[in-house]
Amino acid sequence: MGAHLARRYITETETEPDPAKPFGFDPEFGFDERKEREMVASQAQMNLAQVPVLQRDYCAHHLIKLMKCKRDNWPNFLACKHERHDWDYCEHQDYVMRMKEYERERRLQMRKKRVEEAQAA
Amino acid sequence: MSPQQLNMAAVGFRNWARALSKGKQPGFSALFSQVRAASGPSKGMLPGPYPQTPEERAAAAKKYNMRVEDYEPIPDNGEGYGDYPQLPDRSQHERDPWYSWDHPDLRRNWGEPIHWDFDMFIRNRVDTSPSPVAWHTMCKHLFGFVGFMLLMFYLGEKFPSYQPVAPKQYPYSNLHLERGEDPEKQPEEVKHFNI
Repeated sequence: MGAHLARRYITETETEPDPAKPFGFDPEFGFDERKEREMVASQAQMNLAQVPVLQRDYCAHHLIKLMKCKRDNWPNFLACKHERHDWDYCEHQDYVMRMKEYERERRLQMRKKRVEEAQAA
Repeated sequence: MSPQQLNMAAVGFRNWARALSKGKQPGFSALFSQVRAASGPSKGMLPGPYPQTPEERAAAAKKYNMRVEDYEPIPDNGEGYGDYPQLPDRSQHERDPWYSWDHPDLRRNWGEPIHWDFDMFIRNRVDTSPSPVAWHTMCKHLFGFVGFMLLMFYLGEKFPSYQPVAPKQYPYSNLHLERGEDPEKQPEEVKHFNI
């Protein structure tokens, strides 16, 4: 909890990735094969459901299902637990993927530094 | 207006007209004659020139209802204060609130000499009472705190705190059309993968 900040600003200032900058390494590097993320909701469907722009991510199909469920069950605000859980779980997995991407970038940076030091020596 | 008030107004107007026609100075300055109503201060009660001799000082002190030891005229710097006394620049806030003054709101007794800036020092206006803590201590505390907060906010901008996650991935070339970009322009190909 905050070790990355200590690494970034104090101990390993060159290798700790900066999330504001784009990650430069090849996405396929180190993997045998990588599946692409598939987007389920189409742009037309998201437009019709009037999903806010910042929520048009890879979990938008769950969100559209949730919005429809809420619209149909109003005023029972306790009704859509299943849909809400599906959407939450999808968002959670998306966040875990973000954490893994950050860690991957960090390890690749450290590896790059090790390789350069080995070449310099 | 009652008939009596109308009569008084007529008398005043007549005096004014008389002064204008018979006054020694010609024209407009005739209005500023030396004739004064009896309701105002007498000649002896008004301020006079700066006292030169000890006798003049004693007379001025008596006039202002002060002791000769206490009386000190405002220094003569050419601004025209005359023999008016120099009283301490303390506002009425500093006077005892529990003493039974003749005028409780003004915290003044009858006959007491009035400060030159008395109207400034009333309790609704300028307050010269001492601060609870010394002035330099208050300044140190305030500017110290503000400076510290500015420094911390600056450091917070320089070294921001963030979660160790990659930026969020959006489909359709980072929502090229949804963000309102040019629909004709081909966006750069963005691929997102599972991990």
